[in-house]
Amino acid sequence: MENRNPLSPHIQIYRWHISSLVSISHRITGIINIVAITLICIWTASLILGDTNYDFINSFLTSIFGKFIVIGLAWSFSFQILSEVRHLLMDMGYGFELQTTRITGLGVIFGSILLTILIYLIGRNFI
Amino acid sequence: MNLATKKWIFLKISSIILLPLMVWFIFNFIAIYDQSYEEVLKFFSNSTTKFLFSLFIVFAYFFSSLSISEVFEDYIGNDKIKNVANRLLFLSAIIIPLLTIISLFNLN
Repeated sequence: MENRNPLSPHIQIYRWHISSLVSISHRITGIINIVAITLICIWTASLILGDTNYDFINSFLTSIFGKFIVIGLAWSFSFQILSEVRHLLMDMGYGFELQTTRITGLGVIFGSILLTILIYLIGRNFI
Repeated sequence: MNLATKKWIFLKISSIILLPLMVWFIFNFIAIYDQSYEEVLKFFSNSTTKFLFSLFIVFAYFFSSLSISEVFEDYIGNDKIKNVANRLLFLSAIIIPLLTIISLFNLN
């Protein structure tokens, strides 16, 4: 049977606001995260091949570009975590008022930057 | 209960399980990503790490495949293309974690 469900309208027809920015960023960071997790799976599986192959990956991860990618990944994870908590709260019926959606949306954006700094500092110094 | 409701419930349950695993993983990844082969091997050879990392990737792929299939539902109009995309998505969500877990449990 032919599927007659409507498609989502193209994102450019709506005026941008905080909630739409958080929503589209949630989808983009979700895709970035699963691509990164796939690369991490390859990195983990490659450990079985010994340290010769590891040196190549390690030289990339210790470069400036590699560090930039790792910090970017920490931000992407942070954004996804906070945005998912926001979604779960909305699923329970909280935070639907217009002003609240703006505040929680901004909380996700700025909170993800703070959480990235926190993850990096704790990860590098205390684990 | 229709399929969309089931998918939504699975999506929410997997996100609740995935959140603490994401926090655990990102803190540890930041701590080890530039370490030597021996240090990284020691981390992944630990039985707690093996268990948590396996859970993390299983739920990450499960959650992502459900989420991405929603994106396909929203933006792909052609049913044939959508079915192929969904099959490839679900196949990769099984194969990649499975191969990684097999490799992980063969680390010494």
